Amino acid sequence: MGGKRKGRESKGLEGEEDNMADGGYRSSNSNSGHGNVDSNAKRQLLPSMIKNKEKRSAVHAKLKHQKKLEKRKKIKARDAAEKRALELGEEPPSRKIPRTIENTRELDETICKPDDDELFAGNDADEFSSILKQEQTPKVLITTCRFNSTRGPAFITELLSVIPNAHYYKRGTFDLKKIVEYAKKRDFTSLIVVHTNRREPDGLIIIGLPDGPTAHFKLSRLVLRKDIKNHGNPTSHEPELVLNNFTTRLGHRIARLLQSLFRVEPNFRGRRVVTFHNQRDFIFFRHHRYIFETKEVKQADLEGEVAKVSKAEKKSQEKTIVRLQQFGFPPATRPKYGIVEVLMWQKDGLQSALIGQEKHQFQMPNKECGPRFTLKLISLQHGTFDSKGGEYEWVHKPEMDTSRRRFFFERRGL
Amino acid sequence: EKNKAGTMPRTIAVESPGCPPIRAFTFDVLGLVKVIESRGKQGTPKVVDRWGEPDSSKCIVAASIDDCKFHPLLAVARKGGQIELLNPLNGDLHVAINAVDNPAMEPQEHPFVGLHLFKKLRMDSCRSCTLLTCTGKGQASIRTVEVSPADSASLASHKSWIVSAAGDISCYKVDGSENYALFGGKGVEVNIWDLDQCSKIWTAKPPPKNSLGIFSPTWFTSVTFLSKDDHRKFVAGTNNHQVRLYDISAQRRPVMSLDFRETPIKAVAEDEDGNTIYVGNGSGDLASFDIRTGKLLGCFIGKCSGSIRSIARHPELPVLASCGLDSYLRIWDVKSRQLLSAVFLKQHLTATVFDSNFTDEVNPPSNEEQDAIEIQRDEEAMVPVKRKKASKDSEGHKKQKAKKKSKKIKGHVAEEP
Repeated sequence: MGGKRKGRESKGLEGEEDNMADGGYRSSNSNSGHGNVDSNAKRQLLPSMIKNKEKRSAVHAKLKHQKKLEKRKKIKARDAAEKRALELGEEPPSRKIPRTIENTRELDETICKPDDDELFAGNDADEFSSILKQEQTPKVLITTCRFNSTRGPAFITELLSVIPNAHYYKRGTFDLKKIVEYAKKRDFTSLIVVHTNRREPDGLIIIGLPDGPTAHFKLSRLVLRKDIKNHGNPTSHEPELVLNNFTTRLGHRIARLLQSLFRVEPNFRGRRVVTFHNQRDFIFFRHHRYIFETKEVKQADLEGEVAKVSKAEKKSQEKTIVRLQQFGFPPATRPKYGIVEVLMWQKDGLQSALIGQEKHQFQMPNKECGPRFTLKLISLQHGTFDSKGGEYEWVHKPEMDTSRRRFFFERRGL
Repeated sequence: EKNKAGTMPRTIAVESPGCPPIRAFTFDVLGLVKVIESRGKQGTPKVVDRWGEPDSSKCIVAASIDDCKFHPLLAVARKGGQIELLNPLNGDLHVAINAVDNPAMEPQEHPFVGLHLFKKLRMDSCRSCTLLTCTGKGQASIRTVEVSPADSASLASHKSWIVSAAGDISCYKVDGSENYALFGGKGVEVNIWDLDQCSKIWTAKPPPKNSLGIFSPTWFTSVTFLSKDDHRKFVAGTNNHQVRLYDISAQRRPVMSLDFRETPIKAVAEDEDGNTIYVGNGSGDLASFDIRTGKLLGCFIGKCSGSIRSIARHPELPVLASCGLDSYLRIWDVKSRQLLSAVFLKQHLTATVFDSNFTDEVNPPSNEEQDAIEIQRDEEAMVPVKRKKASKDSEGHKKQKAKKKSKKIKGHVAEEP
């Protein structure tokens, strides 16, 4: 018994100095002087303090069962109260909002704000601006790591069909730095290296050229086209690009990097869309073809923080990314540079979108084509690939993960 | 929200201890100068001012401050070859020089690497200042510039010499007595020049090949003198994540060589006691070493994820400032290595300097002797900075590191056999 007491004293979570004087026995007034009101029973016997595994797991199971029963009782009571209130014609008592990681996200100060002129100046000055201003056409070189694998070539052929103007070159045994030189000489604008491990592609290195940043992504959950049920076949039109939720400065930079792989084509032809959806620092890649069916138009105010800003549209130069989707507009009203923020992404297709100032809802069955994968940024290096001498703009460090609610690419602003 | 007893708290909210009153300048790749101040004993640093318009062709590559009591001056070198002298109190441009030596050359090809504002030569006259500049190609020059509120500046005297004909200079430092300067770079061994005679007095030799026979090419990325009184000992950081201590009076090879993590050492700064150095590398790790024994004293943990470009040690208060590519300026406590605060500054930062003459005590300016000279200071009622001397030392010893920020690609490292 004394061991348990000491264990709790050393925790010192609530500053329980008054228990130190007790020495070796339990005191039942441990609740005094504290703001927390917990049942005495729980205070005195924490399962984690029992050393014996069997007994500990038994106590823990009992505790959980009790909690489950309490929860069930609460839900029953709540449902009964709601039913009663409805019968009487009153307002049912409001339900509590569950606390999720999304609502309790830590505020990130590096969010891009819509009125940040430094952001726009930075965008002008960064390595992608010439492509994104349509001064240069992206030309992408895809290659692999030295040992290619089973799924690697299939993935690469699919990437070739997704990204326009992409060329595949075999790796051979060239050094990556030499490949960068070669690509620069041939006027490529980006270099993608697919890295494989254990016969599966598991890494993606995107290098902007001539001296753009190098982003190293971890690739996972790759599903090839042949494995998708009812897949469609991509056409050769330029795809439209949807970039969701890249709200922080770092996210913005990554979004521009991904954008610079695709050509900026304001007049959308073909109904092919490539989506990079950022959620909790994972970037989900999807590739769809869509068809229009019905459309309704609703007016709504521009709310929340919009990643790609409508104010940017009002600026005379086309500074920002702006290749986003259009949904079911007749050609006459089709905006030239639509700005869309996707509000809801559902499995069977985008359900609503915010275009300019208007909110539109529509039906959009679509076919998924092309690969599906998830990326997570491991590091962003300034300058081209240089593992030894490179300097990093962002590298993941374990000391950054002190909170489950902190992510680096996005912050839910809505 | 309350935490149940015995459960882990859902969020770990560590209150950062506040910052002592400081004032610092940061310089970034869009050519902006931002002034960050923290007031009160436990204040939070905030951006109080921003000078300049965002323009990437005006990217600041080096900066140097002379924050003496009278006529403090801030010199800033920009990518296109311009040097500007600013008033650190309000950002007014005193003078702007286009300091490209040979107008036929493209300024972009020889961007500045280093700039140093001499302090000793300014005490006599407040109307002129002397600058040491160095370009990436090894062209160093000392010029005296008239600082007059009028428009143009005349380059009174101008000495220039070639520091190194081959190789790129990427780091430099002028010592405390301002008689000697260090230069080093890619393919350039560290060498010390006597500034009066413009002659090289010492060159380093590469360390002997290690036991595996691997030779790593010379590439120094940062240097600093160990103490302001002694120009003979200095510390250099290499691209190969090594920190080397050299002693001129002893030998030409490094006296001590330490290895630190795996990315290039981008910034080093020394502490005033002459025994501790602070090292920042390309992946954002900041650490302090005891240079007498070569022991790592500890790392500064604070979520810094971008390369550290510049470290500045406050001459009086035990604070350290570091800035870098992750766009944050972080203020650290030197003794406990704890992060005091971090300020997000939106752009890649290239340099930071402290203004050590900053106090936030409100005192009537009549106490100062300087009001006869600088009348404008009395009118700075809205700028709450009363520039009082915080210390007796008239030569505010500044330690700053300014790194070359260039959009060109650095040359490739020679392949290792």
